[in-house]
Amino acid sequence: MGGVSEVMTQTRADDPAALIVAVATRGDRDAFALLFEHFAPRVKSYMLRLGAPPETAEELAQECLLTVWRKATLFDPARAGASTWIFAIARNLRIDAVRRQRRPRFEDDPTDEPAPEPPADAIAFAAERDVRLREAMRELPPDQAEVIRRSFFQDKAHSEIARELSLPLGTVKSRLRLALARLRGLVGDLA
Amino acid sequence: MSPAPAPTDNDKKTMTLSHHLSDALIVDYASGSMGRAQSLVVATHLHACAACRGRVAQAEAVGGALLEEIASTPLAPDALDRALARIERPREAAAPEAAAGHARQPADWISVPVEVAEAAARRRWVAPGVWVAPVDVGSGDGALTYLLRVGQGMRMPQHTHAGCELTLVLKGAFDDAGVRFGPGDISEADDAVEHSPVIAAGQECVCLVACDNRLIVKDWLGRVVQAYAGI
Repeated sequence: MGGVSEVMTQTRADDPAALIVAVATRGDRDAFALLFEHFAPRVKSYMLRLGAPPETAEELAQECLLTVWRKATLFDPARAGASTWIFAIARNLRIDAVRRQRRPRFEDDPTDEPAPEPPADAIAFAAERDVRLREAMRELPPDQAEVIRRSFFQDKAHSEIARELSLPLGTVKSRLRLALARLRGLVGDLA
Repeated sequence: MSPAPAPTDNDKKTMTLSHHLSDALIVDYASGSMGRAQSLVVATHLHACAACRGRVAQAEAVGGALLEEIASTPLAPDALDRALARIERPREAAAPEAAAGHARQPADWISVPVEVAEAAARRRWVAPGVWVAPVDVGSGDGALTYLLRVGQGMRMPQHTHAGCELTLVLKGAFDDAGVRFGPGDISEADDAVEHSPVIAAGQECVCLVACDNRLIVKDWLGRVVQAYAGI
């Protein structure tokens, strides 16, 4: 028995979507530990890059992974990969904490409904989709990659990017459009 | 783990929209780089538009991919133990999502965030057929959001922009250069545009407007609105 679960833990270690599902369905602490080891240091880097002081970045990384534990039942691998879901949590925490804003709230939020039980192949599909997307990101033309990076890692809206790069607004907009179009074909419809 | 609530009727929210978010706005919103004023308007469109919600999800996948690529920064050695200790405690009671007793939005608008519904109570008539109501976004960066109501058949204040302006129809419709904008439709105007939309006949039009900069208003009505809305 012990041997089997060890093997399972090993296979799941590089499949974060399965780990989140394990947290959601049976409060699996080992799965949580693996998620923490992988994502917390990345979330900390993300917070640091966006200007959080080290202590705040550490605290937000903690908070992000605790949110993963608490909200695991809302994770739907058919709609988002694990890293995408965790990115969105980290982004919202940063907006709350650093910019003292909250995402707008509605009385009824269509995106806040608990996820249905994922179909067996959804997790494998999500993992594959994330890998393809990462490859495609590496192949983006440099001028498109540049505006994407400034947007996600420098907290710059497209109008600010245009000002900083001394580019017409339309040029920045079209680079973002081209970048998304290229990636969209790969990740498919996530609605 | 709470039982899943009965599925809600999402179909009723799937209205047919003609004017959607640009990819630039999708990326601004998904990356978290969009300011509060515009985020309110974009979130209101997204609430009504499943197609744009899907596009935001796609852009968030870019964020997920970047998160995987980023170099790791080690946490404190006891970070995992601290996290595990915190999840051992009884689940912290979730804060209520919205305070009870807040203002309810008018039934004939598309769904708006709580703070927008509250702003409607602060409406001020500024000219015959026109009221404005500033939405408190606490952004402090010169950006602002406001509700604007214009009576049927009237012309909206004529203006150009020193920045980007988003206008989302909550009720009614307007025509801008021959193009119709109805409930849920979003109009994005930037520096180059000079316009003066006309409200469609039949009913009043209520819009949620965000500017990341002050408008350059050209006519008397615009100046009156500007004076009263603090825009």
